[in-house]
Amino acid sequence: MLRTWFGRRPSAPSTPRPAKDRSKLRVGIPRVLNVWSTHRFWTAFLEALGVRPENIVYSSDTSEDQGREFGKGRGAVDCCYPVKCMSGHYGELVFGQRRKLDVILSPIIYTLPSFLHGHVQGSFSCTRVAAGPENIKSGFLKEADVFSGNGIRYASPFVSFAERALMPRQMVKGLGDVLDLDLEEATKAVDAGFDALDEFNARMRSKSREILESCAREDRPCLLVLARPYHMDPGIGHEIEVNVQASGFPILWMQYFPLDSDLLEWVFHDDLKSGVIRNCFDISDVWPSSYSANTNEILWGAKVAARLPWITCVLRLSSYECGMDQPTYTPVQKIVEGGDTLLFKFGDLDSTKPSGSVRIRVETIVHYVRKSSSDIIARKRARLPADCPLLPRR
Amino acid sequence: MILGVDVGSTTCKYALVDGDRVVAKAYERHNTKQAEKVLEFLVNLERDHGLSPGRDRVFFTGSGAGLLAPHAGAKAYQEVVAVAAAVEKLHPDVRFVSEIGGEDMKTIFFTVEGEARNKQVLMQSACSGGTGTFVEKTARKLGVRTEALAEMGYGGRTLHKLSSKCGIFAEADANSLVKAGIPNEEIIASLFEAVVYQNLSTLTKGNTPMPQVLLLGGPNLFFRGLREAWAVHLGRLWKERGVELPAGKSPEDLIVVPGDAVYYAALGCVELGGAEQAGTGVYAGVEKLRWWIEVGQHEEKKKAGRAALWEEQEELERFRAEFVKPPPQCVPLRGDTVVIGCDFGSTTAKAVCITPDREFVHSCYSLSRGNPIEDAKALFRQVREGIGDAKIVGLGLTGYGKDLLKDILGADCAVVETIAHASAGLHFFPDADCICDVGGVDVKIMILAQGTVVDFRLNSQCSSGNGAFLQGVAERFAIPLGEMADRAFSAQAMPQLSMGCGVFLQSDIVNQQRKGWQADEILAGLCGILPLNVWIYAGGLNNLHTIGRKFILQGGTHRNLAVVKAQVDFIRSKMPHSEVVVHPWSGEAGAIGAGLVALEWWKAGGRSRFRGYETIESLTYRTTTSPKTVCKWCPVDCQRSFIDVEFPGAEGRSWSKVPLQPGWQRVIVNNSCPKGLVEDVDEMKLVKAEMETTKAAYPNVADLVRKEAFRTVHAAAR
Repeated sequence: MLRTWFGRRPSAPSTPRPAKDRSKLRVGIPRVLNVWSTHRFWTAFLEALGVRPENIVYSSDTSEDQGREFGKGRGAVDCCYPVKCMSGHYGELVFGQRRKLDVILSPIIYTLPSFLHGHVQGSFSCTRVAAGPENIKSGFLKEADVFSGNGIRYASPFVSFAERALMPRQMVKGLGDVLDLDLEEATKAVDAGFDALDEFNARMRSKSREILESCAREDRPCLLVLARPYHMDPGIGHEIEVNVQASGFPILWMQYFPLDSDLLEWVFHDDLKSGVIRNCFDISDVWPSSYSANTNEILWGAKVAARLPWITCVLRLSSYECGMDQPTYTPVQKIVEGGDTLLFKFGDLDSTKPSGSVRIRVETIVHYVRKSSSDIIARKRARLPADCPLLPRR
Repeated sequence: MILGVDVGSTTCKYALVDGDRVVAKAYERHNTKQAEKVLEFLVNLERDHGLSPGRDRVFFTGSGAGLLAPHAGAKAYQEVVAVAAAVEKLHPDVRFVSEIGGEDMKTIFFTVEGEARNKQVLMQSACSGGTGTFVEKTARKLGVRTEALAEMGYGGRTLHKLSSKCGIFAEADANSLVKAGIPNEEIIASLFEAVVYQNLSTLTKGNTPMPQVLLLGGPNLFFRGLREAWAVHLGRLWKERGVELPAGKSPEDLIVVPGDAVYYAALGCVELGGAEQAGTGVYAGVEKLRWWIEVGQHEEKKKAGRAALWEEQEELERFRAEFVKPPPQCVPLRGDTVVIGCDFGSTTAKAVCITPDREFVHSCYSLSRGNPIEDAKALFRQVREGIGDAKIVGLGLTGYGKDLLKDILGADCAVVETIAHASAGLHFFPDADCICDVGGVDVKIMILAQGTVVDFRLNSQCSSGNGAFLQGVAERFAIPLGEMADRAFSAQAMPQLSMGCGVFLQSDIVNQQRKGWQADEILAGLCGILPLNVWIYAGGLNNLHTIGRKFILQGGTHRNLAVVKAQVDFIRSKMPHSEVVVHPWSGEAGAIGAGLVALEWWKAGGRSRFRGYETIESLTYRTTTSPKTVCKWCPVDCQRSFIDVEFPGAEGRSWSKVPLQPGWQRVIVNNSCPKGLVEDVDEMKLVKAEMETTKAAYPNVADLVRKEAFRTVHAAAR
């Protein structure tokens, strides 16, 4: 009957397609730039496709040795130090592996998975950073294709993390050949990737909340780092904040600031009430051209730091000649200092670990954070409603 | 005859060729007077070798060629084109050329495909990294004479990390190595390493330098160690990239350094000139060039320059009346109690003795010998001479040596430099809003409010605006330190230099020299640009209004009155009603601050643990810097040094890789983070446990991210 009505045969009972065996495939990912904020996505994405966890290899942290040993003579012209460093990572993935890799996956990340997405004009990645893979790749293709010469396939999918729905197709386009990937698999793997990334971010934010709660409980200070995600790379950010931590101060990073509404509504209470901002993630009052994800987050972080009492000091990290950071210096300074909060900037970071200056600055920072924190906390606390969500309810 | 002249940034060279025979050649430094040196060459050549206007032909190359060539009727060629022409003629088998000049470096890759021969040229002249100046500047700092430098080797030396990308950073790195007791030979070998590394990493752009290789330019010719470094690096690179060498040849055999390597650009000019049409480059004689030197360049630069550091004599006199003050004097010691403040800085160690009534009774300094213990001995000898048997009730230290010497001297307070300077400034000017301290290697701007530093800007990563840069330029011009200010004030006009990076400023200076600006004028220009570099570039302070109205200038660089004049003019141009004062003890501010902090500590009830002159004088120590002292706690691999000081009662370190017997105490220096103070695994376990406790009590979210973000998803979830 059915056959008659619709004039065609019912489809054959669906049988699961044989899973593609990717268990032997070894995939290397350079641990650079915005991979520092999308790491979990890539790992889970590949795992969901059947790549064995031990076969997913991230290059090591950036270091001068890495650059000397693996990137020498392959540098491309780029004034951005974090981009320049990529050649060392590529080289390490090609030449520095005991077990050879089959694929190097170096995504061109066009937009980022920013927590401010939807509240700002855009969540674009820095164009120089996004174009990094294309730039650095050329140093390995110039005289001969170093990748294929070493049995490696190079894949550089163009991805828009802010538009999750686009990602499966982008993956198929960028990785279809290399991973023998179809849309259905890509969709599932992208979902798995986002799940892992969301879970990780949530866990880090909850850790930050714990830190804040303990600071509030004990009325002691913590410091907030305002930087780009890749400043967590010890070779790029030089672990400057670790030196301050060693003197006995907890360290928060803006990327993983807790986003709980009770906390944010308390912090932005006056601004919400007066209508200066529409919601807690609104930065239009301080940053009108809010198209760059990392920049937007830095400005938002400055606003939070200026208000939250126990953040008595902000560490601002920035890489050499960063054109994206340049316009943020003055607004960030005004916002943070306007909120009675100490601000110390470590600008123009590059390969040279400024150890001498870091030491002096850290000692000075520690001196003043110790000396001024209790006053800062008291002044900032007095501006906020009494009922603090970080403290146990009485 | 055809004359090729290479007008370089530090030297001029020529080759006079008749047919295929080189009739005459010369290579001389021009000491920033390019035009004068070329004139001298031409006059000599006319006199001694019959160079004739209207008959012979002249071709110029080098950084000064474009400007000077027309004045001699010459045609100018870009220097890489000239060098390539000479190489193609003289060395058809060469595939890679590195020419290192005084302030630039060039590489040429020749590729041969069938009949076609292509060349790719890469050049870098905006940065001193990898150039001759890079080596010489640091060697000068180390007190290594040029002749000795030429003979210093590379092979077999322990190499240390020196920043290869910037000559100024490299010099700072070399300073640290000196302080760590590293022998000059090893530092120089490390410099050669850095030069070759820099050339290979920035000027190859993905190309492999293939044999044969030709090394040209003064540094490649004169420095044996540099040639050895090339051989090692190229040999390694060829091996890595599977480049097959001709049978029986070693990398050394495939690297050619011709004896006349410095003349290749000049010879290339001759080669290129010979192929030009007959009327091109006909020598016009010296008259026009002479006119340019005597008249033309002055007119030209007047158009381009800016007014000098002062406009009218009267204005300069007013400034002198306001700011030239007799140096402050110590008062005689009346009581018998003092505190001592010491500043162990990068170039000098200073001490100031202060009474409980805050009177300064003695001040002394000793030039740093690169070893803080020796510096301390020298300093305390002088202190003892100065204050005799007065009782020392407190000792405060600041400067790089403060942590190292704290226990050894029995100091009571180790005061961070910024706090020391602020204390010293506020002691004299309690209503100050800002202290601008310009020292040898760093610039500190401390913004004050209600007697405390509320913000500060420190710039020690960049040489822009610091005293060492100014001093370095003066040294290059052979102007003694004490004459810098007067020479700068003697300038009637000065070039408008560009604000910003010291390295770019260095090329700008060369550029200005080319335009004919003289040493005094350039020095004035540098003093003039210093405030912009200090406040805007290094300090990031565009709006001085936000800081306040009273500014203290301190730090050794402000002993230079020309700098003070530029600073005062700059600040007052921004804020006409501001008050600018120079700290009376400009150079001793750090030591005074450390002393004042120690005094405060003593007044709060502190009891000094100062060990006494005898103990300091009898300190016996030895320094070890070797692969065994390299810090291995992170990939940075800091080259630490162990200074072992004989110290009664000390436990020693029998377990160490560099064992230390009882009665000796080890001080670890040149570590860049607290981890490096720990010698090895055993000691680390203890310290790590402490650090973990601190980290657990004071977490850092990034630690967690670094630890977990790149693990497999399954592992992280556990």
